[in-house]
Amino acid sequence: MTRYIDTEQTAGDFYTHNFAKKAQEGTLILNLGPQHPSTHGVLRVVVEMDGEYVLRAEPILGYLHRMHEKMAEVKTAAQFIPNMGRVDYLHAMAWNWAFVGAVEKIAGIEVPERAEYVRVITCELNRISSHLLWWGAYLLDLGAFTPIMYAFDDREKLLDALQVPTGSRLTYSYFRIGGVAQDLNDDCLGRIRAFIPWLRSRMPMYKDLVTDNIILRKRIEDIGVIEPELCRRYGATGPVARGSGINYDVRRNEPYGIYSKFDFDIPTSELKCARGRYDVRMAEIEQSLRIIEQALEMMPEGDVLVKGAPKPSWKVPAGESYFAVEGARGKIGVYVVSDGGKNLYRTKLRAPGFCNLSLFGEVSRGTILADAVAILGSLDMVIPEIDR
Amino acid sequence: MDALLKGLKLDYLARGDFAKTGQAWVAFLPGASLVRASERLLKADYYIEDVCAVDCVEGYVVVYHFDHFEKPGRVTLKVIVPHAAPNVPSIAHLFDGAEWHERETRDFHGVQFIGNPNFVPLLIDPEMADCFPLRKEEKSRSSAGKIMAPGEVVFCDPAFTLFVADSPAEAAGEGAK
Repeated sequence: MTRYIDTEQTAGDFYTHNFAKKAQEGTLILNLGPQHPSTHGVLRVVVEMDGEYVLRAEPILGYLHRMHEKMAEVKTAAQFIPNMGRVDYLHAMAWNWAFVGAVEKIAGIEVPERAEYVRVITCELNRISSHLLWWGAYLLDLGAFTPIMYAFDDREKLLDALQVPTGSRLTYSYFRIGGVAQDLNDDCLGRIRAFIPWLRSRMPMYKDLVTDNIILRKRIEDIGVIEPELCRRYGATGPVARGSGINYDVRRNEPYGIYSKFDFDIPTSELKCARGRYDVRMAEIEQSLRIIEQALEMMPEGDVLVKGAPKPSWKVPAGESYFAVEGARGKIGVYVVSDGGKNLYRTKLRAPGFCNLSLFGEVSRGTILADAVAILGSLDMVIPEIDR
Repeated sequence: MDALLKGLKLDYLARGDFAKTGQAWVAFLPGASLVRASERLLKADYYIEDVCAVDCVEGYVVVYHFDHFEKPGRVTLKVIVPHAAPNVPSIAHLFDGAEWHERETRDFHGVQFIGNPNFVPLLIDPEMADCFPLRKEEKSRSSAGKIMAPGEVVFCDPAFTLFVADSPAEAAGEGAK
């Protein structure tokens, strides 16, 4: 067995040694994380510093690696759904959707129409809660404490609404192969209807207090410029790509479910910097509200789970499929291969945060350390999703 | 796509059924053509979605997914490498994002990507990084010809027999229902 330990140096571990091999003379190797507030969990970044400037940076992953892809091979497809709520805990609904969507595609299962609407509503609500949490936490990174209190106040109402049908507040495993677990009842629908005008009344205040604030603008404008070509080379999607002017959203470009029925815009920004990504996420909150509003209006009566829906022991027919959805962080893709056996043969999870973070090394080069942290936050990472 | 990949040595090229498999084009190609195929995809403004491997009877099937921001339609490149010598050339110098995907595939399956600029373990602890958790035991491996959708064939090298070995394999994509 290969041991990747470098015995020449004593300080640091394998990754520090590996990183230090390419270091220039007179520079400082600095370790950020994995227990650092601005790494939002357990991300670790090793940087080579020349004074205050970052010469090189390398994210080190794996501190939250749980091998979901192996778990998919030792459980039946239906038993794997709870794992999907734990990959990206901030936008669990999108992961739920990506996985059941891939399995439904192989098996050719049609979802009842009402279930499609329920999926859209819950997924978009979850997207808003994810963006709100990102907003609060990002400002916390930048030194503003108050906004996260407001964000959590709004988010609380939203979680209360989602708790009614799902029974959970964070790690939802609500989708089922062939529909969803439970219908939205009047209590839940009432909460959602009340939430839309509430959040709309708050957004102008956030704009005045935070978005237009000169301190914030000085902090996030013109840092972390990402060119569209860079997004292609690294496979960056979601608000990171849209913040660089790429008009790409899976809901529009590869429509799934019933997204083609709704009228909504894809916000983009030509700024390409951290501010561009900030603007895109803030604008997306309003677009999600628009989708929810239309979905509530158009939602038909009916079942939310297809008749004869697969039981937990159900075997997925042989075949392969790739299903992508738009998560809060970008394109979530699930590639499923089945040989018709008890468990899935192979499940590959494409995490948008993984690809978005991979460009950090290139983008942070030459910036001040404090800006590198602001760039890191603007990528909106969720570590469990990156490590899977 | 056939125009894009023209002149490259391919084993198999097929149109996929996007509604059923999520793949617009599927190509099996030898490792030697992979870099040039990726280069052309990069020039045609494709972006990399992911890289992964599937452990099959024939060997490790290394799967590359690409997509396009303006003209959606997933392109899947597949390279079959033998279990005994799982070596593939790296495409990280073209698609920088592939560096991490390749390292992850090394962690899970032990596939070696020759030329990856930083080929160290990514997700698994370096001290136990040679456990390759997604490798399968010989008896539980399935044939790639049976589990992968053949699609609508555009080109097939006479020497490439993955989908012609026996007739049930042909129907694996469709007949599964």
